[in-house]
Amino acid sequence: MFLIHCPYCDEKRPETEFAHAGEAHIVRPNAAEQSEMTDAQWSEFMFIRDNKRGDSCERWWHVNGCNMFFNAVRNTVTDKFVKTYKMGAKRPSNAQIQKWKEGV
Amino acid sequence: MSYDMKIDLGVEIPEVLQSGPVTAELLGEKVRLSLRVKSADRTVVAKALGLTLPAKIGVASTKADLMTACLGPDEWIVIGETDKHAGLYEKAHKLSTKYVMSVTDVSYRNIGVVLTGQAAAEMVNVGCPLDLCLEAFPVGKCTRTVYEASPILLHRTGEDSFVMECWRSFAPYMIGLMAAHARGGFRSN
Repeated sequence: MFLIHCPYCDEKRPETEFAHAGEAHIVRPNAAEQSEMTDAQWSEFMFIRDNKRGDSCERWWHVNGCNMFFNAVRNTVTDKFVKTYKMGAKRPSNAQIQKWKEGV
Repeated sequence: MSYDMKIDLGVEIPEVLQSGPVTAELLGEKVRLSLRVKSADRTVVAKALGLTLPAKIGVASTKADLMTACLGPDEWIVIGETDKHAGLYEKAHKLSTKYVMSVTDVSYRNIGVVLTGQAAAEMVNVGCPLDLCLEAFPVGKCTRTVYEASPILLHRTGEDSFVMECWRSFAPYMIGLMAAHARGGFRSN
């Protein structure tokens, strides 16, 4: 079992308290944009994901804890959580992720 | 609505949990309120209700039979004696027209078990992997977590005492598991 750092509780908590909630940083189009979208564009927004191999930004949900959603950089090959950060923070650049991995 | 848990669920504390290194006791009827308040309004709402609303997640405050704990950035649980705090819901509900907040009466939702004894922490740890040493989980800490497969509210009320609350339909499961663990014996026995 993993310990995952929740940025809201500011604590490492057992994995069983968390739920994975899909890819992070996908912005939902607003109502006006939605009405302009074609079916193909809509299905792309709904279903098409990067499914990255390597460091991937994901949404996680501390469902059996503080009940907050947050974002995490997780390596999908090694399953290592590089860093977790609060909702609203920008997607980290590759350089930033590299720095986190080196512990800078 | 009847609040008597013995009638609607047949929940009872098995003999093995009535004596020994850890004993369990059912918590009686309580008032439980789930409060959601915008953090900016926390102090004003707390003052208006006469409650302490801790700012830090996981911190509980117990004052005159009333326990309030911060469960999330904008979420608190309030647990108190039914006869003394029956009017609290109405009071909070009236306030909710004035501030960005909501209050829900969840009194009937949970069944609480008080665990006491030298093996109390061990009993919690059999089903919950949280670090329960006093530095990591001091007296007064309260958090939502998981016991085996059941979501629970865990509150440390003393070095060797905890209150575990689960949603009432999970109570036979949770108490049954605790009894099974108790039959297996404890390390700190």
